[in-house]
Amino acid sequence: MLSFLLRTGWKKLWTLFFISVISFAVIHLAPGEPSQIDPMNPRFTPQQLERYRKAFDLDQPLHIQYLRFYRRLFTGELRSFKDNQPVLPKIVERVWNSLWLFLAGTILVWCAAFPLGITTAIRRNSVLDKVTTVVVFALISIPGFYLAYLLIIFVVQTFHVDVIGLRTFGHQGRNLVWSFMDRTWHLVLPSVLGATAGIAILSRYVRAQMLEVITSDYVRTARAKGLDEDTVLYKHALRNGLLPFVTMLGLIVPGLVGGSVIIETIFAWPGIGRLGYEAILSRDYPIVITLNFVAALLTLVGTLLSDLLYMVVDPRIRLEGVE
Amino acid sequence: MMACALFFVVALFGLLVTKGDQPVLDPRQVRLADKFRPPLSLPNRQAVPIDALPRLGVYVLGTDELGRDVFARMLEGAFVSLSVGFVAVGIAVAIGIIFGGIAGYYGRVRILRLMSVDTLITGLIDVALSFPAFFLILTVVAILRPSIWNIMVVIGLTSWEGTARFVRAEILALREQDFVQAARALGVSGPRVILRHLLPNAVAPVLVSATLGIAGAILTESALSFLGFGVPPPDATWGNVLSDGKNYLFDAWWLTIIPGTAILVIVLAFNLFGEGLREAFNPRLRQL
Repeated sequence: MLSFLLRTGWKKLWTLFFISVISFAVIHLAPGEPSQIDPMNPRFTPQQLERYRKAFDLDQPLHIQYLRFYRRLFTGELRSFKDNQPVLPKIVERVWNSLWLFLAGTILVWCAAFPLGITTAIRRNSVLDKVTTVVVFALISIPGFYLAYLLIIFVVQTFHVDVIGLRTFGHQGRNLVWSFMDRTWHLVLPSVLGATAGIAILSRYVRAQMLEVITSDYVRTARAKGLDEDTVLYKHALRNGLLPFVTMLGLIVPGLVGGSVIIETIFAWPGIGRLGYEAILSRDYPIVITLNFVAALLTLVGTLLSDLLYMVVDPRIRLEGVE
Repeated sequence: MMACALFFVVALFGLLVTKGDQPVLDPRQVRLADKFRPPLSLPNRQAVPIDALPRLGVYVLGTDELGRDVFARMLEGAFVSLSVGFVAVGIAVAIGIIFGGIAGYYGRVRILRLMSVDTLITGLIDVALSFPAFFLILTVVAILRPSIWNIMVVIGLTSWEGTARFVRAEILALREQDFVQAARALGVSGPRVILRHLLPNAVAPVLVSATLGIAGAILTESALSFLGFGVPPPDATWGNVLSDGKNYLFDAWWLTIIPGTAILVIVLAFNLFGEGLREAFNPRLRQL
């Protein structure tokens, strides 16, 4: 048990090191050498290049650049090019807004994906299974922004509510119920849109896992013992069928940044996805690089959590090291 | 499957009729007098010069904000979108096979006595999976300037992990089998053992993830177009036709609905094809 923990921790530390190197290396893709000043391109003015060189110590050797970058990041010295604010607090502030979306989306995903995946696996090749398969695949095949536009038009024309932004502008004095409903309406569309891909992918995982389980020997044994179908499915099979829940826990986190760029841009939602997009548009490299790093870091924490959960849930993993 | 085959035919046909100095259907012909014509409308013969009239007599899928023929643009875009998907996935599969092959076959070799090759490569896969792929692609494309080649390469470089994992797992499972021993005893070199004797066993999962990868790459390209970092203007892709069209959603629905539905149908076709392959290759499910 302890050796498993130590091994996992050691591996994660290495991963963290590589993540920090790669996040940092992205800087070197950006124009930074004097020979790259293009007089025709108004974006690369000498002043901007100078600021860029200073922010990332481009005149130092590589390993010094790397160390200084992370020292600045954590001491709050690394500042945004745009408004000269420290990078980390700026990102943390936006994370809270995104967290709302992320939580609502994740709850939707779990509530829909598990029942769907399990039912379609049990009734494989039924009409329900085929219809869900097509619908689920249509959901991952449609370009997100296209679906978003269609849904916005539908909701706004049918229910006459405002859905863009965090809340309707200019109604600060209204009563609690009204503002609660207003917030909810604003939350519904982006979180549903954010959840579609998750529902589709996770329900396929659950279905595949469940199929794997119900064709395995121990389920056949349970049936042979004469247990009734419900006990076999929901007591014996379901336990292993729920494993994707643990696996996906870590991998769902990158969506917090990556998946939210488009949705937050469409809905003018002041979260980290939109912060990232605005930073990219305005060449605010400190923010862009830190966001990549923070997102990868969060994922790492997520996978660490799912590794630990696995250890609790699946005894095979605990025993692996003993052999 | 049929839809995928049809898409190839459409893409090749599109390449034939829209490329060259004097294409049969010119996707770049601007006709300002005939902008925003709905599908199947007739051209305005007084205002449009004879040589700019659509070859088919009508605007089959309408015209856009510059009076360009949407049908011709969609045909041109079919080939560009398809090649974005194929080149990106080709790069991803190549990297995946190389890394997966090395990790599986040479996994026990140690580097500088610190860690084994396998630890290093599985570590790299973990690292690559940790980054938010779409945001990383956006970052790199934004820094390097969007061009069709940059987009293909960057999508490819960020989507090789699945293939590498499958190849590694398959080679690990087969490495100690007799036929591999026999090949080695005959003096067959390592890379050749990997490519000729081990890799064919991993074709199924690689093919599945490649098919799904093409679908993903087409979607990623359209998402990049939406954010303004897609394939730049003279080339038409389904993604940039859609993201240009959405600005005129209320005036000209066909500019949004046609490319949007086209992307939906083709990505769906690739996804279902990949899923079908997966089920067909899984011997466990065949018995059911």
